[in-house]
Amino acid sequence: MLLVTVFYLIFLAAPILLLLMGSFGETWSNTLLPQGFTGRWYADIAADPSFRRAFITSLQVVAATCALNVIVGLPLAYAIHSAANRGVRFAARLAALMPVAAPELVLAFGFILVFSSDTLPWLGSFWLLVAAHLVLTLPYSVTTLLADMEQMRLADYEGVAASLGASFSQRARDIIVPLLGASLTSSLLTVAALSIGEFQISNLISGFLSRPYPVVLLQAFYGATGFACAATVVLLVLATVASIASSLTARATAGGRTA
Amino acid sequence: MLNLEQVSFQYPGAKAGVSDVTLKVEPGELVAVIGASGSGKTTLLNLLAGFLMPDTGRVVIDDKDVSAMPPERRDLGIVFQSYGLFPHMRAWENVAYPLKVRGVALAERRTRAIEALERVGMGNRSDNGPRELSGGQQQRVALARALVFEPRGLLLDEPLSALDANLRVEMRDEILRVQRAAGIAALLVTHDQEEALSIADRVAVMRDGRLVQIAPPRELYDNPADEAIARFVGEANLWPSRVVGEGSIETPVGRLACDTKGHATGTKTIALVRPENVIPLGPDATGQVNAFAGEVMADRFLGSTRRIDLAVGEGTIRLETRIRDAIGGVAIPPDAIRLLSPSQQAN
Repeated sequence: MLLVTVFYLIFLAAPILLLLMGSFGETWSNTLLPQGFTGRWYADIAADPSFRRAFITSLQVVAATCALNVIVGLPLAYAIHSAANRGVRFAARLAALMPVAAPELVLAFGFILVFSSDTLPWLGSFWLLVAAHLVLTLPYSVTTLLADMEQMRLADYEGVAASLGASFSQRARDIIVPLLGASLTSSLLTVAALSIGEFQISNLISGFLSRPYPVVLLQAFYGATGFACAATVVLLVLATVASIASSLTARATAGGRTA
Repeated sequence: MLNLEQVSFQYPGAKAGVSDVTLKVEPGELVAVIGASGSGKTTLLNLLAGFLMPDTGRVVIDDKDVSAMPPERRDLGIVFQSYGLFPHMRAWENVAYPLKVRGVALAERRTRAIEALERVGMGNRSDNGPRELSGGQQQRVALARALVFEPRGLLLDEPLSALDANLRVEMRDEILRVQRAAGIAALLVTHDQEEALSIADRVAVMRDGRLVQIAPPRELYDNPADEAIARFVGEANLWPSRVVGEGSIETPVGRLACDTKGHATGTKTIALVRPENVIPLGPDATGQVNAFAGEVMADRFLGSTRRIDLAVGEGTIRLETRIRDAIGGVAIPPDAIRLLSPSQQAN
């Protein structure tokens, strides 16, 4: 059992470790491990205008996707949570989760079909990319928020606040948003991690000037190995930081509830 | 004054709800609503609070029809079963919240919140968060919060059910003291009939969505409207009986002398005798009316009293007594016997 676990961990960590070593290796061809040590691949990435633009685009897409998740996801989760009718709740939940079930390729083809027409000629635009990322990430933020709303008995607290004289806007300001703060942060960090690493749909619908980092990363593999490794490590670090932060805030939310 | 006028409500797609309930709670009065699970007592509270709107009838608070008003406009203080203290606010902030939503300035609302906390003995815990307070302390904070904005009525939804037995008695007195001091109408919903009998001015009994009896605690206990209420409120000996002549009934434990006024010979009734009214007799006691010898089937020690089940004839007589000696028989005073109409809901 221990042996299997060790092998599994090696299998999991080996590519990441090799990428890390490769990103600092001077040369790496026909050898098991890279030769020499250099930081120039990272300097090359920083100096490359297409990578710089893609990096900034990715951060902009992530920021816009997170903002839209708050603007759309929070009210949507609240509406599903508050729906009195069980059938409506189930249907809304199903619709919100649909993008998880549909393959990304199918979604991308849908976007291409709809937004390459003369009526809606937005294929390749920045905001269409953001919209696609929103569709992909919304189920995760809505699911997280819904689970937390139910677990923390948000409806009960709202009822209490209403009985004390608070209007809906006062309840939203004083009760709903503060209680959901940690949950919202956690779900947004998950959204950020997903959005940073998203490749399939971005590759098919982004334009030349709106390509996010993972799409440009693909080009790196046609060049020097060290450059490709360094470019991948940059993406990995970004996604890992977002994932760890998400896990930590999720734990803090759960800890806050049980304390 | 809290007033429900012929209020009916049915949950969509379900038979549960309340039907044709009329109930008035005067200022300074505390009315307890009791009933089995699903009897409609919490629905009644939710209708008063505004969490539910009646299908028919009117909800009137201080002579104002509030039937269609949302909870935030009804001006009622509510203490919930789970207390419902906001976890991200300190005790004083929780208490100050109803003042905040009414636009009271920060300094004033803090002062008033701390005064309200002091009234319930929580002045020294005003800076603590709900998670740092025990169940009883949270309950006190919830009570202070429900009263700080001088509501027109107080609704208490099973406020003591999460507390342990000793604290429950203490908090029961506390609630009564604070409600009396505030002088407002209060409605207490509880499944605990002892709690209801001990603090309420009147007790309302709900069954299958209907208000079946409302009376002061002693009257409800001594003269329940039917067999089911007698069974629900306190311990009771309930025997199916038949009037066999003036002043005499036949029961499974034997023939009993009692007042049969209003019941013709041959009428089927239910005889009610409270266990504490049954007089224990020694093995050689004689000459008593309604005296029976029997075999002790169960003898439970309850601390200050004993609860004994005595097999007599084809039935059982339950008695509660402080006597610790051996018991060979019992006597039932004729004036301790009430004749009730049989109830189909009894079980």
